[in-house]
Amino acid sequence: MTGLLAAIGRGTARWLGRVGLLARFAFEAFASIRTLPGAGRRVAARVLLNQLRFTALEAVGLIILLSGVLSYLTISSTIAQLDKVGASELIGKLMVVAIVRELGPLLTAIAVVGRSGTAITAELATNTVLGEVRALEGMGIDPYHYLVLPRIFGCVVSVITLMVLFDVIALLGGYLAAGLFSGMSGARYLGIVLANLTTQDVVLTVFKGLLFGTVIGIIPAYEGLTVRRGPTEIPQAVIRGTVHSLGMIFVLAAIIVGVLVR
Amino acid sequence: MTPLVAFLEVGVSRAARTTMSSLPVVSTEPDTMLTLEVAPHQTVAVLGDETSGVDALGGLALGLERPLTGRVLTLGTEIATLERSAQLAFRRRVGYLPAGDGLMQNLTLRDNIRLPLRFGSDFRPREIEGRVDVIVAQLRLTRVADLRPAQANAEDRRRAALGRALAFDPELVVLEEPFDGLTDRAAAELLEAARGGETAEGARRTVFLTGPDLPALLRPRVDRTVRMARGRVEEVR
Repeated sequence: MTGLLAAIGRGTARWLGRVGLLARFAFEAFASIRTLPGAGRRVAARVLLNQLRFTALEAVGLIILLSGVLSYLTISSTIAQLDKVGASELIGKLMVVAIVRELGPLLTAIAVVGRSGTAITAELATNTVLGEVRALEGMGIDPYHYLVLPRIFGCVVSVITLMVLFDVIALLGGYLAAGLFSGMSGARYLGIVLANLTTQDVVLTVFKGLLFGTVIGIIPAYEGLTVRRGPTEIPQAVIRGTVHSLGMIFVLAAIIVGVLVR
Repeated sequence: MTPLVAFLEVGVSRAARTTMSSLPVVSTEPDTMLTLEVAPHQTVAVLGDETSGVDALGGLALGLERPLTGRVLTLGTEIATLERSAQLAFRRRVGYLPAGDGLMQNLTLRDNIRLPLRFGSDFRPREIEGRVDVIVAQLRLTRVADLRPAQANAEDRRRAALGRALAFDPELVVLEEPFDGLTDRAAAELLEAARGGETAEGARRTVFLTGPDLPALLRPRVDRTVRMARGRVEEVR
């Protein structure tokens, strides 16, 4: 029994140690903003634009597909049932609560972790293994400025933008499905949805985008930059970055529902 | 004359290097004590195999790692004790060619040379381009300057890495394993470029280099050679 408790204690201590290092990494990354040199801002801005192109622009097709299919499946499988019990008005509530507020942000974040989180870890781990990070520091360039901050801000802006896109496409998909399966007019559908959509939903979406984007920027970057042994560790780092990012996103989503959504 | 690099009773070990200087490093016991001064205008080589701890010296000179014991002064300053932003600013005064060249793989050789100037100087774009053009021509990289490191051969990559180290025309250059895998002729050209020509006092730049060995052709061009092995430090020349 004592051995079991000791093992749990050791595991917890290790986990807390890792969380502490991650928190320190995040703090140092954000604190480095104040020391970003003027000339460095222009270079970092170019890296940021590249990150936006990769994370946001190139993910538009995937987000449209995910969102369109999800809303189509949701509406097509529920509207007939709602019609039977005379509760087709609830379609608006369903769209707003299930898709706009919860599934939209979550699925967008999962898609961005899958596309960009993995790429960030793999890229930074490769930079580390090839000695590029050490070389940057050796020539007076802060890796936080050149590698980490553009990726964090790129992920935050991309996730917020893609979440808004996801929600817009989902609502449009719902509009098409509602017309197709229930014969509901466009005006009625939009009226129902807009009546259920509150300012809080919009603010929550942006807030989640901010949180999830920060998580997707920080955790994969941390896992990439802490690779030590060599190229064989890169796949493990990618797995750690992906799993920890997804875990953190799900935990945050649950906390938001528990604390902010009543 | 004040030495440009001074290792004062520095404990050296084969400790795992940090990936970023602010991230934690596993500390180990020192197995070699080193006291060494690199005078201005000199070319000093410290040689030793990978078990000697010689590969840690470049990082110690640049403050990328803290010594386990003792002090390292570079241009009269203990870089490792400075605040992080001051450390970074200070390192721009020293040219650094890391082991394995450390070129950014997503940039062309020209962009790699341009990077420290664009990030760490207030030069106008035209001034930067002028300076980069001169370095590219001096190091005979014109033909390959627009290739990425993976498309260039080892010699050109090393030249580009040296070009990047010389971008600010520093008075001190730290080279880690600079001649690894190069022909004697290429190594000699690289060393001459690092020295930056001759003055009455010696080479225009002070060069501190580390590595496993020195090509025979270069030995006359090196003012001091120190060898580290099995916890001992010997002055070879």
